[in-house]
Amino acid sequence: MKASVRICEAQKRHNTEQFGAMGLKSPIVFTDGNGGVKVKHRERLFMAGYLGPAVLCFLIIFAYPLIRTILMSFFVIPGISSPVSEWKFAGLDNYIGMFRNGVFLASLNNIWRIWLIGGALTLAIALFYAVILASGVKGKKFWRSAIYLPNTVNAVALATMWLQYVFQNKFGLLKTLFTSLGWTSLAKINWTSPKYLFWGMLLSYVFGSVGYFMLIFLAGIERIPSDLYESARIDGAGAWVQFTRITFPLIRDVFRTALTLWTIGAVNFFTWAKMFSTRISTITVTPVYFLYDKVFGGSGTASAIDAGGGAAVGVMIAVIVLIVHVAINRLLKEEVYEY
Amino acid sequence: MKKHRRMTLGRVMGALRYVPLVLWVAFWGAALGWILFASFSTTREIFSNNILGSGLHFENYIDSWKNNNVSHYFINSICITGASCALIILISAPASYILAKKTFLGRNLVLNSFVVGMSIPQVMLIIPVYCWFVRANLVGHLITLVILYTTLNIPYTVFFLTSFFATVPSSLAESALIDGCTEGKAMWKIMMPMASPGIITVTIFNFMNIWNEYFIALIFANGNDKIRTLSMGLQNMITSMTYTGDWAGLFASIMIIFTPTFILYLFLSEKIVAGITGGGVKG
Repeated sequence: MKASVRICEAQKRHNTEQFGAMGLKSPIVFTDGNGGVKVKHRERLFMAGYLGPAVLCFLIIFAYPLIRTILMSFFVIPGISSPVSEWKFAGLDNYIGMFRNGVFLASLNNIWRIWLIGGALTLAIALFYAVILASGVKGKKFWRSAIYLPNTVNAVALATMWLQYVFQNKFGLLKTLFTSLGWTSLAKINWTSPKYLFWGMLLSYVFGSVGYFMLIFLAGIERIPSDLYESARIDGAGAWVQFTRITFPLIRDVFRTALTLWTIGAVNFFTWAKMFSTRISTITVTPVYFLYDKVFGGSGTASAIDAGGGAAVGVMIAVIVLIVHVAINRLLKEEVYEY
Repeated sequence: MKKHRRMTLGRVMGALRYVPLVLWVAFWGAALGWILFASFSTTREIFSNNILGSGLHFENYIDSWKNNNVSHYFINSICITGASCALIILISAPASYILAKKTFLGRNLVLNSFVVGMSIPQVMLIIPVYCWFVRANLVGHLITLVILYTTLNIPYTVFFLTSFFATVPSSLAESALIDGCTEGKAMWKIMMPMASPGIITVTIFNFMNIWNEYFIALIFANGNDKIRTLSMGLQNMITSMTYTGDWAGLFASIMIIFTPTFILYLFLSEKIVAGITGGGVKG
């Protein structure tokens, strides 16, 4: 800070030397007829130079690929790097093929359940913990950091922890816990067997996501002024009434944000699916996994690469995000409460 | 009398609030703690429920570090994450400054495009991008990941920093301008230091994301050990260790990956929390 002031000071001296003779303070106010235009032009150049790189990156990595993916989804493309001249127009064939593919339909079924059941569980648990943390518990910062901790762990490490320890059927945490509690039927569950693999995956994903949404809810709740709760308490309102009448209505917008973020996360569900079954399987497949397998050849052979079909899946995923986004905004209309 | 009963009820309720918190922390503490202990045991002890039965086995760590190119994975992750985080700020901060402090035609368009960019699924972008990198013969080079991580994180960073720059008073920079400082210099020497809390917060957030990134690394950097990041390296190690049945080594490698971010988190948890709530909640 000090250094910067010094540099500007030096600049100022330099300018005084240069313009001092003319009795002018700085080049910015230097206007003689069309001089103002010159300054304006320079400012425009400055703005373009500072904003340009970010906008260029956006156009190259977001805007152009987006359009190209949409185009690709209507073509049959022989190889991943085939030039446009080798593309063959296929109309809606890629989309029709996609909806006739059993694996893709399974992926839609899975993603729907992940979104609904996982979302209800995650948001409910996260809200529950946020309310507890906002109620004035001792050591709030510690609890908050502790609950968020799993979110900072590498997903590969976290998924391995669940698969190789928590769900392990010889020395696993759940097995040990349920056995010591005497709940033998629960202890017998083999979480990594095909019957339970999906639920195991969903459970571990929910447990890994709660911290993030807890933080978002907590930030929303903490913005509510405390005198609202005080007057409610004086009027004899209990914890439940306070939650349903004050907290929840006032964090509706935060809830909507959380729901949107959950949707984006759920639709892009991939890492956990890949970790829970290294080879594509209808039990855990999600649309992104399906696309990955189709285009980047996860378990398939190089000749089976289908860039056009993959692009169609990508477009479908984006359309789903868009529809859910619009639906959320319609259903949970913005209601601004002044507080 | 009635008041007294209410007081005790309130106190019981107050104490009950801690039960879910303790349960949650206990679960994660048990899981991570057990893995820590198991990583110092032998595979046989793990399977016979007798962890740490024969003292600490540091060789699990030494072996899994040596038998896999863990040093390589670390260097790759550090280089990629460091370079990307620096480039992101270098590109995003000037743009955010302009978006926060200037009014011009198309400002809202630019800002809104960045917001939309934040919610575009990466799978919508990755196929054409992969084509380019295949044709440019760049798949399997570290630079590919740096380019992608930098560009993909720009929208969020610009969005976050724009709202941050808007809260930084511009009077100091303006007075420097009047004193003859160029606008560029005023931005880098005056506005940037004033915005440093926001820059640090968003960089920590970007760092965590890039350090743990999986999808793009899997596509672009999973060919050989020279380019694998920690995520990919760990996955590779785990696959081979479950194959050879080296469970002690497996838990040791989880701890190798877990420990650095955990230590970082111990020091920076407040900043990380701020990075999430700052940009995530628009309300």
